[in-house]
Amino acid sequence: MFEKILIANRGEIALRVIHTCREMGIKTVAVYSDADKTAAHVLFSDEAVYLGPSEPSLSYLNMDALISAARQTGVEAIHPGYGFLSENHEFARRCQDEGLVFIGPPPEVIQALGDKITSRKIMLDGGVPVIPGLSRCEPDMAVLKEAAKEIGYPILVKATAGGGGKGIRIVHGPEEMEGAVAQASSEAFNAFGNREVYIEKFFTRARHIEFQVLADQYGHTIHLYERECSIQRRHQKIIEETPSLALSPELREEMGKAAVKAAKSARYANAGTVEFLLDEENRFYFLEINTRLQVEHPITEMTTGLDLVRLQIEIANGRELSLGQGDIRPRGHALECRIYAEDPEKDFFPSPGTIRFMKEPGGPGIRIDSGIYQGFEVPVDYDPILAKLIVHAGTRDQATAKMLKALQDYIILGVKTPMEFMTDVLNSESFREGQVFTDFIPAHFSDWKPDRDLADVAVMAFLAHDQETAGKKKASLGPEKAPSPWDTLGNWKL
Amino acid sequence: MEYNLMVNQEKLSVQTVISKGGGISQRSNLSQGHIQIQRENRSCEAEFVNVSDHQVLIHVDGKIFNAYVSRQGNTKTVVLRGRSYEITDADLMEETSSGKKSFLNTASVVASPMPAVVIGILVKIGDRVEKGQGLVIVSAMKMETTLFAPFEGRVSGIHADIGDKVMPARILVDIEKD
Repeated sequence: MFEKILIANRGEIALRVIHTCREMGIKTVAVYSDADKTAAHVLFSDEAVYLGPSEPSLSYLNMDALISAARQTGVEAIHPGYGFLSENHEFARRCQDEGLVFIGPPPEVIQALGDKITSRKIMLDGGVPVIPGLSRCEPDMAVLKEAAKEIGYPILVKATAGGGGKGIRIVHGPEEMEGAVAQASSEAFNAFGNREVYIEKFFTRARHIEFQVLADQYGHTIHLYERECSIQRRHQKIIEETPSLALSPELREEMGKAAVKAAKSARYANAGTVEFLLDEENRFYFLEINTRLQVEHPITEMTTGLDLVRLQIEIANGRELSLGQGDIRPRGHALECRIYAEDPEKDFFPSPGTIRFMKEPGGPGIRIDSGIYQGFEVPVDYDPILAKLIVHAGTRDQATAKMLKALQDYIILGVKTPMEFMTDVLNSESFREGQVFTDFIPAHFSDWKPDRDLADVAVMAFLAHDQETAGKKKASLGPEKAPSPWDTLGNWKL
Repeated sequence: MEYNLMVNQEKLSVQTVISKGGGISQRSNLSQGHIQIQRENRSCEAEFVNVSDHQVLIHVDGKIFNAYVSRQGNTKTVVLRGRSYEITDADLMEETSSGKKSFLNTASVVASPMPAVVIGILVKIGDRVEKGQGLVIVSAMKMETTLFAPFEGRVSGIHADIGDKVMPARILVDIEKD
């Protein structure tokens, strides 16, 4: 087994990897930027190497600095986490060339699956259902419109490279096609340096269901069942659960087989996620394979009892996967809430700041994957995820009740978080009934306001707390006091 | 004593009687006592203990409420049963607002709403700008935001460069009204 690995990431996911490494007796090397000198992942690692300025391209995306940190500390492998360089085939190849093990799939697999047209073709050849569409970049507008007519509107114009909601346009009729293609193409070029776009059918009401897969380097591939990730804001998931209420046992088995087929067709190795779209008639279509550990992997760990990071490391080390499909028997129901520093009352706008006070919930079946501590200053330079709250219980109702309790007991002061919003989502009838689609938040919670019915008690707490700090308060009323950001919010618009 | 409070942007006038000492805990280093508040026709009373700098225990009719409190300037965030309340003493706000704050409220300057990095400056000194015209683009936590002109006028100063880290109080652009 490896003796030492470098974690090319930060925040909660770097800590998540450190936890497993320590259990396995593997030493860890953390890397950090100027903004992260005292970040939690640095404090908990065995060694830490400075990469560069806070700007991601100069630190966490800086391949030269990462490779040199790996050389300097003598590690044998690099775990990329999620985001940053985790799905960058050039980085995976660099590692390979330098004799370092990249904990993830081989570079050529990352490259093939990173291109949407290539991965569509791989799936079509492998007999995996894909969204009706045109599996090529078609410059002739007449041919394109003819194809669109056959597929049926609405149509999605999509960039072949990249993701994150960029280079995508919805087209409702042939008259919108030309403009949409031009816009998507130019946006894709600006974001990913690639103009190519293609078309596929757009589903207004669909579910986002993904299957966790595991494959060793010798072609043995299994799946670890599904995750339902339909509750999203800004195309980013915020609440995930497993199992999904939408799948019957037969459909689950069919989709699981398709996920394994998809991974095998792509010659996949290591942990990956096959994403499907499930339409209202319960037909499923391949969307893409994420070639990394997912943010929401803990819910699968809770129901299957497996440690995905351990399996990733073992597979990367060349071990055969000893688990067969029949060994995977998920139990109960798991939920995850992603706690970001953001303000749900202001369109989920980021809310950086210092964590002034923090208290984590406890009790059976509650797991917290966190990257913060009291006194930590949340940097403005990176994705504002603070922590993930994960619960596991026998049934969906019990898991929901446990999550509601955990959200109420999770105190984070100093930055805004969406925890109140999530409480209302979990309490809503549409969530309780499992009516979750990708348009869930805009459809049910577009002008959400928190319900604050304990104002009297809050006022008493405010005044009672005053007694304690009255002396301190006077001292702070100096002329240097800057107005809070919320005082000045009137000056600008989103 | 009368307090004028802002509770989540809502004004509340509260009559308060607080007596310290006695109460639930015998630990002498903690402030504790009895509190009674009255607003409109409602009255409410409780025993309280400051359990720590950030935690206040409130007993109302035998019910226990754990409130978590943090203070930033004159505003305190109180988290109670999973809900957060932003409470400001409005009297103190007026006392301290004679300087910078009232200046900012006239919206004659442009400042970032949050700590951010400047990634684009769309105007130069001497430019005439319309109300609502984009002036500066800032980025925080992977989200880009354009700061707009609050009124029409002429740009008389730019106090930021691309790549600068800016704080909410920092003025980025001056606009002179006609």
